[in-house]
Amino acid sequence: MTVPSFLRTPVTRGVGMLAVLGAIGLGLIAYRFAAGLGAVTNLSDGYPWGFWIGMDVLVGIALAAGGFVMAGVVHLFGGHRFHPLARPAVLTALLGYLLFIFALSVDLGRPWNIWQALISWNHVSPMFEVSWCVTFYTFVLALEFAPVVFERFGWRTLHRWWFQSTPFAIIGFVMLFVFAMTGSPAWVLAMGGALGLWETLMRLGVMRRDHQMPILLITAGILFSTMHQSSLGTLFLITDKLGPLWYTPILPLLFFLSAVMVAPAMVIVEATLSARVVRHKAEPGLLDALGRAMPYLIVTYLLVRVSDMLGRGVVLEAMRGFWPTVWWWLEIALLLTAVALFATAEIRRRPWGLPLAAWATVLGLVVHRTGVAVVGLDVPEYPRYVPHVAEVLITVGIVSLGLLAFRIAVAVLPVYETHAMLTSPDVPTVPPLPQRELAPVSSA
Amino acid sequence: MNALSRRTFLVRGGCAAAGLAGASSSAAATPRTTEDSRDETLAAGASGQHAMLFDSTLCVGCRACELACNKKNDLGRTPEEVFRGRGAQDARALGPDVFTYVTFHQWEADPTTAAFGKMQCMHCIEPACVSSCPVNALHKTSEGPVVWDGSKCLGCRYCMMACPFVVPRFEWDSRNPRIRKCDMCADLLAEGQPPACVAACPTKALRTGTRAELLAEARRRIAARPRRYVHHVYGEHEAGGTNFLHLAGRPFEELGYRRNLPLRSYRDYTRPAMAAIPYAMVGLTVILGGVRWVVERRTDVARRARAARQAHDTSGGER
Repeated sequence: MTVPSFLRTPVTRGVGMLAVLGAIGLGLIAYRFAAGLGAVTNLSDGYPWGFWIGMDVLVGIALAAGGFVMAGVVHLFGGHRFHPLARPAVLTALLGYLLFIFALSVDLGRPWNIWQALISWNHVSPMFEVSWCVTFYTFVLALEFAPVVFERFGWRTLHRWWFQSTPFAIIGFVMLFVFAMTGSPAWVLAMGGALGLWETLMRLGVMRRDHQMPILLITAGILFSTMHQSSLGTLFLITDKLGPLWYTPILPLLFFLSAVMVAPAMVIVEATLSARVVRHKAEPGLLDALGRAMPYLIVTYLLVRVSDMLGRGVVLEAMRGFWPTVWWWLEIALLLTAVALFATAEIRRRPWGLPLAAWATVLGLVVHRTGVAVVGLDVPEYPRYVPHVAEVLITVGIVSLGLLAFRIAVAVLPVYETHAMLTSPDVPTVPPLPQRELAPVSSA
Repeated sequence: MNALSRRTFLVRGGCAAAGLAGASSSAAATPRTTEDSRDETLAAGASGQHAMLFDSTLCVGCRACELACNKKNDLGRTPEEVFRGRGAQDARALGPDVFTYVTFHQWEADPTTAAFGKMQCMHCIEPACVSSCPVNALHKTSEGPVVWDGSKCLGCRYCMMACPFVVPRFEWDSRNPRIRKCDMCADLLAEGQPPACVAACPTKALRTGTRAELLAEARRRIAARPRRYVHHVYGEHEAGGTNFLHLAGRPFEELGYRRNLPLRSYRDYTRPAMAAIPYAMVGLTVILGGVRWVVERRTDVARRARAARQAHDTSGGER
């Protein structure tokens, strides 16, 4: 790999700015832990959640959805040509989740008790589900990203060991997760049976293995992600503080659909940004293919979103109250714009076309999630919540640190694959593992 | 004289509200859905638990209960601070150092009368805070009180988002913030004594007993003095029923109580989504496996076709 070392690249203006913003954020975080949440936030007993839950948790996790969607497309749905986009997406997701855990511990009042979620189970609590999804999916992402580190440092024994033992660890994790959520041995056995059968079929050669990535690891990533994205919506089902433009019993489904919708958009945004920043050549053909799929995803989400409102008879709410109205129309307008941009081949061909459309999608999602967490909340007894500037600066600081971490990671790790590394299961040009490790390619 | 005019005023108010309240309670009496019948079962389970009854028509607003609560729970406010000023007239009045608060309400039509409400934790039968807490830091004891365990609490404040009565409070200015609220003096109840506020009440506006006893008592009072009371026991069905019941001579929303609360337990709102988890996970695994299998077959077929074509071309060339 001839990636220029991060240490040799001069500190550009962008890197310097990120460092300054990160430092400001860290300073404010130190102040928050010294003086309490009240010192840096406008949160109150009526509005106990605000900007951080909206941006760091709801938006942050949705933007990390590129990881599981791309991993699924490449390794399960046969989209091998998208392989070059999968690694950066997984890295984005891993960094996103690590940042999210860091940001969450700033928002939690008593973060030192966070481990209690693993031992004191309340399986009726959506927050319990969320905490388990975060923990387990972060672990899965680390396992998915591990081969990049193994490659970089040439740890072949570890690599082989990882490839062999990961499926068993995954079956155990998923079964434990199901037990924690249901307390039902029957469901645990059903889950373990389904995954175990799949792995057995692959080991017997009836179904095919992937030469580079244990299929069950990808599956577990999709399972935990699906649960996590939707459970963030479930969180809000129990509150009566949320207005009718956002509150719906199908909020979990909407959150999942919008996460899937934003995943390819984030891949486009991230690819075009890194193309500029680290001078990595973006894959125009692949990105265009993603862009062509986008209108279907967005329209699916919009159809569910609007028909749900029709079904609940709250469409006219979209004309009542200033900020909720503006916010709702902004979401719809951004997403419709994105559909129009993505669907027009002439615009997709322009260098600014795909990024612009992708940003419109991302912003549409940001507006929906902040609508749920901030704008849509209404507690009539209390004065309306408006974020404190320190809340915004802390989030900006944490995101800046994340971008710096991404910058360092792409500089020192083989995240952007060269063509020599591009392998598909059909044509294993450079098998990373000795042949004896591989299951029969096809027994049919 | 003051009391007389107050009573006549309350009677008038009570009559006006009687029709409305009667209609809503008769609607709630017949279980129509599974949620309703489930809540009936819950209420049956809670009937033997400790409960409290507040009768607003007996309350004179002396705030002895606030003082007693402040002392019993070491909330650190001086009597002067307890009595200083009259702030918010609803749940906003609660704070990390205010577990209960007597709200004070007057009406322009008759400024010589006043009525009072009592804000505090309602100790729901199936509390939203308990079902939302990820780590069981909040839990409902089998005796009735809803209590908090600081050794487990993460400070995620989801209980505050969930509580329909806006009760749990957070210590925003603390490095080690706690969730603060009334615990019905669970320790005193365990010793067979009434909660501090009940013991302090000079007019017997507050009472303790089992939930069944107090519910019967509340209905008896309404039946005995139908023109004195709004015909509604606040807490009988609100949010699936609470262990703290309220009687009043004025519509409850005029006394700072939240109105139009659903008559089902708040846990019902997340129950379907939580119940779907194992179905979603096992179903998704089967679907993903199936898709993967189809994709494999398709590539196999395509490759075989390609190989056959190549073989044909090669053999054709040789021939």
